[in-house]
Amino acid sequence: MGRFLAALGRAGTLVAEHAGQLGLLAWHIGVACVRLRVLSRDILRQLYIIGIQSIPIVLIAAALIGVVTSQQGGYQMQSQIPLYVMGSVVVESVILEMGPVLTAIVMIGRVGARITAELGTMKVSEQMDALQSVGRDPVEILAAPRVLAMIISMPLLVSLANLVGITTGMISAQYTLGLGSETFFYGARLFWHSYDMFYSLMKALVFGAAIPLIAVHMGLRTTGGAEGVGRTTTHSVVFMTLTILVLDALFPPLFLN
Amino acid sequence: MSFAGNGSGAVIEYRNVFKAFDLPVLSGVTLSVEKGEMFALFGPSGTGKSVLLKTTIGLITPDRGDVAVGGESVYFGGKEVLERIRRKIGYVFQYAALFDSLTVYENVEIGIPEESLEQMSSKEVAHRAWESSELVNLEPKQVLAMLPSELSGGMKKRVGIARAISGRPEILLWDEPTTGLDPVNTAAIERLITQLSDDLHVTSLLVTHDIEGGLEMCDRVAMLEGGCLRFCGSPDEFRASSDPVVSAFMDREAAHAALDTLEFG
Repeated sequence: MGRFLAALGRAGTLVAEHAGQLGLLAWHIGVACVRLRVLSRDILRQLYIIGIQSIPIVLIAAALIGVVTSQQGGYQMQSQIPLYVMGSVVVESVILEMGPVLTAIVMIGRVGARITAELGTMKVSEQMDALQSVGRDPVEILAAPRVLAMIISMPLLVSLANLVGITTGMISAQYTLGLGSETFFYGARLFWHSYDMFYSLMKALVFGAAIPLIAVHMGLRTTGGAEGVGRTTTHSVVFMTLTILVLDALFPPLFLN
Repeated sequence: MSFAGNGSGAVIEYRNVFKAFDLPVLSGVTLSVEKGEMFALFGPSGTGKSVLLKTTIGLITPDRGDVAVGGESVYFGGKEVLERIRRKIGYVFQYAALFDSLTVYENVEIGIPEESLEQMSSKEVAHRAWESSELVNLEPKQVLAMLPSELSGGMKKRVGIARAISGRPEILLWDEPTTGLDPVNTAAIERLITQLSDDLHVTSLLVTHDIEGGLEMCDRVAMLEGGCLRFCGSPDEFRASSDPVVSAFMDREAAHAALDTLEFG
C-alpha cells in the first residue's frame, strides 16, 4: 500500500510538473506572439514543412477512413436500416470523430515526433545553448513558429481530410452497396447540423495546439545524448497520443450536449 | 591560500559558486579574470570546468554564489543585464554546436546581436560574416554557402569561432576548442586563439585539457579539482608547483604515480 501511494505521489508530481511547464511554455509563446517576436519567415517555413508536406499522408489516411467507415456501416446495417442512413453515418463519423482524431494521430507521427527529435537533438548537441549564448530565445525562434504553423495547418488539414473521407465513403458506398450519391447525400442532410463542422474544426484547433506544445516541451526537456533523444521522442509520442484521446473524450460532454 | 585574481580590472568574477546536479560539481569557486588577459582553466574531466564557463552567460544557474561580468551580476541583475552581458561575450562550444539546418553564412550571421543587426545594412552584415570567416582562416567564397554537414571537424570548429567573434565581443569563452582535433589542427586552432585575442583585444577564458598549449598561450592559469579551485597563478608558477595533483596533471609519469597514491575528485 505504501509503495502504491508513493508511486501515485510520484506520478502526481510528474503530471503537475509537466502541466506547469506546459503552461509556462504556452504563456511564453503567447507573449512572443503578442510582442511580434516571431518571424513570419520562420512561420512560413514551418507551414510548408508541417502543413503542405503533410497533405499527402493526411489525404491517404482520410481516404481510407472514408472507405472503412462506409464498408463497416454497410455491413452493420444490412437489411435492417434504410441504406440512405449510410450517408449520415459516414458524414457524421468522419466530421465529428475520424477526420480530426486520425489526422491528429497522423500528425503526431509525422510532425510531433519530428519536432521532439529535432529540438531534443539541438538540446543535447548544445545548439540551444548556442542560441541563448548569442542572446536569442529558443522559444521565439524554434517553438513559437512550430506551434503557430500547426495551429494554422490543423483546421485546414482536417477540412481536407473531412472532404476526402466523405468523398471516398460515398464512392465506396456506391460501388459496394449500390447506394447512389443522391441517396447518400439525402441521408447525410437528414441528420446534418452545421454546428458539427464547427465542432470538427474546434477539435482540429485544440489538437493543433496540443500536439506541438507537447512536442516542443518534451524536446526542450531532453537530456542524455542520442539515447535520450530516442527515449524522449517515444515518451513524447505516447504523451501526445494519450492527450489527444483524453481531449477527444472531453469534447462530447463539453460541446455536444 | 588566496585564489582570487589580482583585484584590479576584473572583467569576470566568480563569487563562491556552488552547483550540484545529482552530485556536487562546483563547491564554492571564487576566481576572477582580468581585462585583456588570456586565462586557462585546467582540470580532470567532470570537475566542473564547462559548468563554470556556462554560468558566465547564464546557461547554467548556480545553486549559490554569483558571477559578475564587467561588474554586473549575471543572476541578480535581471533580464536586461543578462542580455547586455551576453552581447559582450562570444562563446566557442566544445563541438562547435552549429545549427544543422542553416548555412555557414547564417550560422555566422546569428552571432551578431539583434540590436546590431537592426542597425546594419545587409551589405554590412554580409561583410561582417565574410570578415569573420577570414579571421578564422576559412575561405569565405568557398564555405559560406555550405551546410555544417559538408564541413570537416576542424572547419566546423572554425565556423563556431567565426560565429562567436561575429558580434565583436569583448570576452571570448572557449570550451575545449581543440578537443577531437589532430595535432596539426590543434596547433592551428591554438595559433588562432592567440591571434584573435591579440587582433580583437578581447579577454579570453579558455577551458582546455591541452596543458602545454594552455601554459604557452595564457597569462594566468587555474586548476579545478573536485569542484574546488586547486591552483591559480602564472604558467611558470604552475610548472614549478609542488602540489602533487598539479604535477600529476602536467606529465604522464607523474599522473601514473598519482593514480597509485592519490584519489582524484
